Amino acid sequence: MSTNDQAPGGTRQAMKRRDFLKRAGWGSVGVTGLIIGASRSPALAHPPSPYPSWTPASDKPPKRGGLLTRASAWDPPVLDPRLTNSVGLSQIATLVYNRLLRYPFTDEAKGSADLTLKGDLAESWEGSADFKTWTFKLRQGVKWHNVPPLKGRELVADDIKYCYEAYAQEGVQSFTFQEIDGMETPDKYTIRIHLKTPNTMFPQNVAEAVTTIFPREVLEEDGDLKQRMIGTGPFILKEHERKVKVVLRRNPDYFEKGFPYIDEYRILSTPDAATRLAAFRTGQSDILGLQSLADVETLRKTNPKAVVQEVTTVLAPFGLNLRADKPPFNDVRVRRAISMAIDRQKQVDTLFEGHAMLGWGIPYFYWQDELPSASDLGPYWQYRPEEAKKLMAEAGHANGFETTLFYYEYFPQMTSQIQLVQQDLKRNLNIELKITKQDYTTYFGRYADGKWDGTAWGFQTGYAVSRDERTYHYMHSKSPKNYFRVNDPVVDDLATKLRQTPDHAEQQALTKKIVEREHDQVLRMWMPYDAGFLIWQPHARNIGQLDLRGNFGYGSSTLARLWLDK
Amino acid sequence: MSIYVMRRLLLAIPVLLLSSLVVFGLMRVMPGDALTALMAESGNVSPRELQKLRKDLRLDLPYHEQYLHWVWQMVTFNPGRSVFTGDAISTSLKKSIPVTIELAAMAIVLGVALAIPLGVLSATRQDKLSDYIGRLVAISGLSFPDFWLGTLIITFAAIWFSWMPPLGYTSLWESPWRNLQQFLLPAAVLGLRLSAATMRMTRSTLLEVLREDYVRTAWAKGLGERLIIYKHALKNALIPVVTIVGGQLGTLLAGTVIVETIFALPGMGRLTVEAILFRDYPVVQTNVMLVAATLVTLNLLVDLTYAWLDPRIRYQ
Repeated sequence: MSTNDQAPGGTRQAMKRRDFLKRAGWGSVGVTGLIIGASRSPALAHPPSPYPSWTPASDKPPKRGGLLTRASAWDPPVLDPRLTNSVGLSQIATLVYNRLLRYPFTDEAKGSADLTLKGDLAESWEGSADFKTWTFKLRQGVKWHNVPPLKGRELVADDIKYCYEAYAQEGVQSFTFQEIDGMETPDKYTIRIHLKTPNTMFPQNVAEAVTTIFPREVLEEDGDLKQRMIGTGPFILKEHERKVKVVLRRNPDYFEKGFPYIDEYRILSTPDAATRLAAFRTGQSDILGLQSLADVETLRKTNPKAVVQEVTTVLAPFGLNLRADKPPFNDVRVRRAISMAIDRQKQVDTLFEGHAMLGWGIPYFYWQDELPSASDLGPYWQYRPEEAKKLMAEAGHANGFETTLFYYEYFPQMTSQIQLVQQDLKRNLNIELKITKQDYTTYFGRYADGKWDGTAWGFQTGYAVSRDERTYHYMHSKSPKNYFRVNDPVVDDLATKLRQTPDHAEQQALTKKIVEREHDQVLRMWMPYDAGFLIWQPHARNIGQLDLRGNFGYGSSTLARLWLDK
Repeated sequence: MSIYVMRRLLLAIPVLLLSSLVVFGLMRVMPGDALTALMAESGNVSPRELQKLRKDLRLDLPYHEQYLHWVWQMVTFNPGRSVFTGDAISTSLKKSIPVTIELAAMAIVLGVALAIPLGVLSATRQDKLSDYIGRLVAISGLSFPDFWLGTLIITFAAIWFSWMPPLGYTSLWESPWRNLQQFLLPAAVLGLRLSAATMRMTRSTLLEVLREDYVRTAWAKGLGERLIIYKHALKNALIPVVTIVGGQLGTLLAGTVIVETIFALPGMGRLTVEAILFRDYPVVQTNVMLVAATLVTLNLLVDLTYAWLDPRIRYQ
């Protein structure tokens, strides 16, 4: 049994085995339909589950007080948000710090996919006509935590300017903030940000969980932010004992009066998945993430009152990363052949118990309203081994070739998933895939350096919510976040144009074009994924899972609205 | 005796130097470094910035300079800071060493407390039911991996009794009862493995000693069974048992890695493994040297214990 605490991003869905068998009949009809050229049922690209994919806020009057605990796999490597975007840090930082803007919390959202921007430290914002200048009006009276050296000092516009300059200067946020050409603070509560190039989506970028506002005093006194975390957020960091616990206590001076509801939030470092599960079973942990439906069903035998929400899989975080700038993968026919030779549905059926998405890289709601069907993903995402063979022959590789793949096992099914790909490629295209499993640091060092040939099991980082991050930042040829090394002038043009487009409908259309281009050219070969389930104790309220914002990971800030019905 | 001890201590110096070279070299051979690990979930750091951070952390120095710098730190008992977290290594060790010592000590006590009586019972009731049961326990202890047993215990305790050890770590001085709850199961898991080999050795050596002439003489003199076994036979049978227990201390420390992870205890094992995964050179090197020094010391203590157990043994 495994918990999905370590999933780097995205989310997922599931169904009961019996339900799956029932639906398999309908599924086979759909598959037949696909074979004869008809469109498939959308359910096959992303099957439904017996659990709801959205849990709205409680309509009961909230109660103040109580202690929330969670057994967590993540230990923050450092407390300095300039040095890491890790989820281990974000689970704390998003509750201690604030951002300029944020996405809706569970009690405000209309559904799990509600991404309407809300003010956090800013109460209003507007862009210039050319979208090169953005002006943010700050809330007045926001106080830093009442601990030395801040002692409840008021937050002002200069704090934001200092922080963004520090982010731009060094560290993991530099690409985002180096986009800033200059900043002005005409008064204490106004910050005007001038960008080097127009960006209609800049406000989304300063709503990302990793763009937290830290105090200048700590950085200036300590030289870094590794030891102390003092913010303006709903919780004050009371205790951080590495590998043991993080204790956050309610900030009585929080600018949103009445929040947070709970008095204390304890995150207990628990690296082992079975132990986290046992902790939930015995009531030592209030929240749990589980990867598979079978695990959920087993848990509900001992904890029948536990509340389960399926986490909607809005994107695939993992896929086959081909070295597309070198032969043989620089030939689009080879990439298409490989994609068509992989039976993704088999992976869904066997590894993910019939419940996973087939694989796409940009959140679906940025390019269409409904979850994509298999046919929405284009011809090269379908399993068509005969056509794949023909394409390989056309590309001069009728007898296949040898190549390599290296990976790190992010979740238990991954090794089996890669082995299925290996079998498919051998059987259908006579491609010999030599697989090497590596530890995290070795894998990441090699992957990020780009000094590798052949293929890797690639990933996209998990924190990003915004359309801009998921398109321009992750796919533009000049972006350091472009791990799949997409180097396609059409995508570059579309992603740049997207940043200059304010209209939502046009943004959707442009994003769809990027997705279509990606799938047509097989620029990133996404693989099936299932984001799993969020489970909580029956007394927890306002804890519904939001898409792309795991509410005990990068989306932890929503816990400010959680309350305990005890 | 003191000359012997001095000689052993002097011999420890080349052993530790060799260990330092091995651990330093192995860490450098492994691909990636602490910065790579730190950036792993971030992924948008330019090579220029990585270079700057490497310089700040002295990771850009030639290997021999890094080695000499580290050896100097060890000699001056100032192991420096973790390159990954920035924490002082001495502070991390102060927190983690007591956890591992307590765990290992409890495991030894539990292991020996189980092994010696079982071994004696098996030997004195050879080929009887109690012997078979004792041997079965021993074989089980050898066969069950720590991670399997630990996971099984924690899972079934939660399912059947809706209980598990309280998560987190409470020191013995803060709350002895809570501390006992947190340590008893992990120590039992480790202790079972230790007891298995110890029990088998106790049984076989005791069987051998029980066939010695002096034991037969004792029986002939009409001494009581308890006196013969516990006073005359067992003490002489214990020398190889002490060797076995001493030799297993390394295995025990290795076992703490898994057990500390499963039971979420912040000990040396977890600290070391995470440091290896994140290529935190100073932490790994310091921890390995500490373990090496501990094992050298323990081996010396085991050797000295022989003389106490058997007065015929003399060290020169």
